[in-house]
Amino acid sequence: MLSRVAEQIFWLSRHIERSIAVSRLIDVTLHLGLDAGDDEALDLWSPLLGSTNGSPAESVEPSAVRYYLAFEPANPSALLSCIRNARGAAREVRESISSEMWEQLNTLYLAVVEPGSKQQAEDDPHLFYKRVREGAQAVQGLADSTLVHGEGWHFFCLGMYLERADNVARVLTLESHLLTAGSSSMREDETVRWLAVLRSCGSAEAYARYYSLRVEPARVIEFLLLNPLFPQSIRYSLNAAWLALRGITAADEEDHPNPAVRALGRLRAMVQHTAIDEVLEGGLDTFLSDVQRRTWEVADHITRIYLRDQGLQGRPMPAARAAMIMAAQQQQ
Amino acid sequence: MKPAVASPEAPRYEPGDFWDEMFEAPGRVRPHYRTLARRLASLSPDEVSRRQAAAELSFVARGITFAVNQGPEGIEKIMPFDLVPRLIRPDEWQLIERGLEQRIRALNLFLHDLYHQQHIVNDGTIPAELVFGARGYRREMCGLDVPGGVYTHVVGSDLVRNREGTFFVLEDNLRTPSGVSYVVENRRVLKRVWPALFRDHEVRPVEAYPQDLLGVLRSVAPPDVEDPNVVVLTPGIYNSAYFEHAFLAKAMGVELVQGCDLFVDDGRLFMRTTRGAERVDVIYRRIDDDFLDPLAFRSDSILGVAGLFAVYRMGHVTLANAVGTGVADHKAVYAYVPRIISYYLAEEPILATVKTYVAAEPDDLAYILDHIDELVVKAVDESGGYGMLVGPHSTRQEQEEFRTQLRANPRGYIAQPTLALSRHPCWVGDHFEGRHVDLRPFVLFGRDGVRATPGGLTRVALRRGSLVVNSSQGGGGKDTWVLGEC
Repeated sequence: MLSRVAEQIFWLSRHIERSIAVSRLIDVTLHLGLDAGDDEALDLWSPLLGSTNGSPAESVEPSAVRYYLAFEPANPSALLSCIRNARGAAREVRESISSEMWEQLNTLYLAVVEPGSKQQAEDDPHLFYKRVREGAQAVQGLADSTLVHGEGWHFFCLGMYLERADNVARVLTLESHLLTAGSSSMREDETVRWLAVLRSCGSAEAYARYYSLRVEPARVIEFLLLNPLFPQSIRYSLNAAWLALRGITAADEEDHPNPAVRALGRLRAMVQHTAIDEVLEGGLDTFLSDVQRRTWEVADHITRIYLRDQGLQGRPMPAARAAMIMAAQQQQ
Repeated sequence: MKPAVASPEAPRYEPGDFWDEMFEAPGRVRPHYRTLARRLASLSPDEVSRRQAAAELSFVARGITFAVNQGPEGIEKIMPFDLVPRLIRPDEWQLIERGLEQRIRALNLFLHDLYHQQHIVNDGTIPAELVFGARGYRREMCGLDVPGGVYTHVVGSDLVRNREGTFFVLEDNLRTPSGVSYVVENRRVLKRVWPALFRDHEVRPVEAYPQDLLGVLRSVAPPDVEDPNVVVLTPGIYNSAYFEHAFLAKAMGVELVQGCDLFVDDGRLFMRTTRGAERVDVIYRRIDDDFLDPLAFRSDSILGVAGLFAVYRMGHVTLANAVGTGVADHKAVYAYVPRIISYYLAEEPILATVKTYVAAEPDDLAYILDHIDELVVKAVDESGGYGMLVGPHSTRQEQEEFRTQLRANPRGYIAQPTLALSRHPCWVGDHFEGRHVDLRPFVLFGRDGVRATPGGLTRVALRRGSLVVNSSQGGGGKDTWVLGEC
């Protein structure tokens, strides 16, 4: 398949997965806010702006944070940006994806850019974010059921699972404040927070069924990081990404795996052969940032090996000029 | 129109002093429209409007749009769709089909001649400066034999009817005719929102067009290629017809490529894939000649492929349509097409041609300057309804401006009598009104012959009284039915 097309599918899938993660994060934080009641001191929102670089974000109005996460045009990971980018990529390759996928994504996009959507998101956030999430999940479902399970589909899966592993790591990092914040140390309160963490990874019910235990911090982390069967865990995601990558690599590369295969193989093996107490011993943050860094590395290798070569990189062109020339091609 | 007539508030449908496709006289429906008229009469205006809205929604959801503004932030619009189909009788279609086939065969022989011996110029049948000075003429094509002698694989000629109902060819689009995706999509949408209509009529299908196109493209592959690799070359998403490029690539099951996906190596053309280079044999290209290859044509082109033209000249890749076909759909050459037909085929033209005054001829120029208020003046190198003066609808000042331009650059213009284009009932708000229409059938030409897809795009000038049907000028479309023999 064309490298350009593979690249667009890969990113289309990553953006879709990210939009799901963002909408979940907002939805769950809203719920948590309701549970927290009138505990004004507990600022659930500001940390979501990404205080991961060490400097704690200043306290901001919750609605402003929500706006930033969902609609801010300058935020490339905003829900709206994700859906717009996914739709843009899909538009470029609509001949290579199924019409059902394209239509679903286009409808989702039109619903989100609609002028009333910002108000809707504030008026009935649960309904709004649920709809968006379902719309994005429908794209994933349609990809699975309407694409030929060949190379394009493998790139779709690869994008989706790498993004998911990255997202789980990021969400856990962002929410680590929940695990320590708050003045009260009541057990009840803590349970609510850990449940929220599970929910923001779409994992609460699966956790309950799997352990049928009370919510315990170490178990929650184990579930989200290391569960081999649950599709929202980092371990599962990396494994699925690995299978997708194996589907892409040619059979003759088996004996001489390329750097992308090697990097993903090592990461997958590391997660697979780590126990939860080892993670906690070394520090959760260290583990999470290691996973994130190495996921990016894998994506970087994939880009250079399959998606771009010098030819593409050597032709930078301002978008506006490109658009003008494309538009000027006469269609009689 | 019955529903409008039936409801007392609605104004009565007025065919006016034009050829109305549906009515032969006020209140008298043409025989082949009677079933449709009965069906329309059974609906209330609300129901018609509801179906109209459903059709529009379907276009938006499917992203069947064209870009109006240029640039990354350009707005996407749907082409307005009118849901009353335009019906064509079998005998009318037969005339169109035979007439277009004749025209296309003659024009391809003309192109072959121009790029080889040039008999038609040498014996003075057509002025040398006219063809060699035309913007679409490419001397780089001289001496090159294209596979099967086919230059124009895809043609979308524009036909109109005058007051008497006679079909005229208004222009031949021989380079990158567009709109065929609307032919197929309009049909699909109408079937979805108004299935009952199809039960009453025998409508010839248009859905096979992409497969026919693929057959034509494969038939003209370089001779040494067994299983040709066909691609569609698009300028990219900001092009107004991008939807169509994607539509065709998808329906044919071939790759949609951009210039940056292709490269030339060792006299062959390749595309970059995730598994390395893959050879390309046939390109259905939707970019202009000028932009195909920065080495052969415009050096600032970033859409094309460096070295592509050299590969083409070696016969290692086929371009559809061929390079240099623009000379044959030049607006001044159009005036000579009847002569071209009799010159190469020794036949009388089957389809009428509009009387054309070529401003480069002194007598014609004098006539145009005197009668500019009755004529349509067109710049020969423009299309899409740009650079055009519709005499009867113009102001004195506009006429004066065109007179000045005509005197300064007579070779840049032609003029034709203003045609009273035929009209068709269209749904306007809550009732039917007559709107001017044209017809663009799509004709394919490969090694196995000429094939016209039974149907075409009926373009509608949506503004009351307007004669300009181009989508860039606010025109809409209708599904077009060629009725089967009954």
